[in-house]
Amino acid sequence: MVVWWHALLTALWGGLMALERRAFLQAMVSRPLVAGAGTGFLLDDVVTGLYVGVVFELLHLGGVSLGGSHAHHETLPAVAAAAMASAMGHASGSEGTPAMWSLSILLFAPSGWVGRRLELRLDLRAAKYVGRARDATNVQEFRRAARQNLRAMWPQFVFYGVLSGFACVLGYALAPLEREIPLGVLRGLAWAYPAMSVVAAAIAVQGSRARGRSLIAGISALVVSVVAFVVWYRSAS
Amino acid sequence: MSVPTLSRWTLWRVFGRSLFIQAGFNTESLQTLGLLYALEPALKELYPSPADEQAALRRHLTTFNTHPYVSAAIVGGILFHEQRLARGEETEEKVARFKTALMGPLAALGDGFFWLSLRPAVGALAAALVPLISAWAVLVYLVLYNVVHFTARRRLFTLGLRYGDGLVQRLEATLVKNVGERLRALAAACAGGLGASMALSFGLQQRDLAGLELTLGCATAGALAAFLAERRVSPYIMLYAIAAAALLAGMLSH
Repeated sequence: MVVWWHALLTALWGGLMALERRAFLQAMVSRPLVAGAGTGFLLDDVVTGLYVGVVFELLHLGGVSLGGSHAHHETLPAVAAAAMASAMGHASGSEGTPAMWSLSILLFAPSGWVGRRLELRLDLRAAKYVGRARDATNVQEFRRAARQNLRAMWPQFVFYGVLSGFACVLGYALAPLEREIPLGVLRGLAWAYPAMSVVAAAIAVQGSRARGRSLIAGISALVVSVVAFVVWYRSAS
Repeated sequence: MSVPTLSRWTLWRVFGRSLFIQAGFNTESLQTLGLLYALEPALKELYPSPADEQAALRRHLTTFNTHPYVSAAIVGGILFHEQRLARGEETEEKVARFKTALMGPLAALGDGFFWLSLRPAVGALAAALVPLISAWAVLVYLVLYNVVHFTARRRLFTLGLRYGDGLVQRLEATLVKNVGERLRALAAACAGGLGASMALSFGLQQRDLAGLELTLGCATAGALAAFLAERRVSPYIMLYAIAAAALLAGMLSH
């Protein structure tokens, strides 16, 4: 059964994150890692939010809006996927599993593109506030002219909030179906999580734009592998 | 150098409002509404006559766009010029010239340092810390990034307010050379390390042949993805392709 206050909390959080991403502050609270973990925290499953957020953080590490251009929206997929995975886990009476993380990531990864299109639409719509600010200035209503800046935030809050809340409801709705998935498919979905993380990390290496990035990342991966293997070997023996 | 005449409270209000610089971002005039919103309390104080305040607001209804953090420097600089203008020490053109001359170069500076260097470095570092310190990585992310972010915003605002056009020279003197390249290298190293860590941790947890297959599969996928990413293959295609391969491997595995 859907826990409606979870959906409401997710919607409020999703709306706020969309505002923090661009309209206000930009202190990186809306970055996928932070926003995803925050979503998980609100839905009692920080680990799920964190691990879903990591994939989107890496995937969008190199994404940047320069000038008036827009990169794919990184916050919407992170919040939506974290909400869906957490809700699925909650509905199953446990925490989210790697299979649920994968399913949510695969379902909501394209919402980065949707978020970008929506942002473009909202920017077009916000142009009307410039005219209103001019009109208010002409009649010497200066406070009203300045306040037009804040009016453009409402549609962002509402649209991204609704989409995030919808993802939470979808998680609850899909939870019963997840129990019907054959074991082999579930195993495949669970394996897809580390595989997607590694691919996202490779994409992040390219997104770093560092000179000699492949070599740097290769050396780093080698060092981590050796250390991890030694630690694992010692604990195993 | 003239002494700022705006009250401390007004300066705080302008600085606080400059955090909303992109709230009304739009296709017609970009950040103009945000700039207007930030400047309004100062213009109200500088120009007691409604006609003068109207003229001042109209001056800033032209297209404005820069990096949101470094906009603090321009907002500070505009206040510097507006105060001089209010005292009759300079002309309107000087304010407009200051704004248009600086918004482009400062945007490039902000994009290069904050968006293309600091954010990827801190993001990748925090992501790499997740397997080690779990949710504390989020705190590391926010603290590391925002110490630099808010210090820069406050400093840039003060530089603009104190030195006006002279802020460029002051800014050049405070810039650390090559820091951007080092941060980008850090981002690449963290992402590479995290990729290896993810491949190993999930595989080694299983302690069987399937776990080894998973680790080797992930490592191969990572290397292939790194190669394809350099050739600008869509990240979504890579993500769905590896998910399909993992799904197939899971279904075929016993």
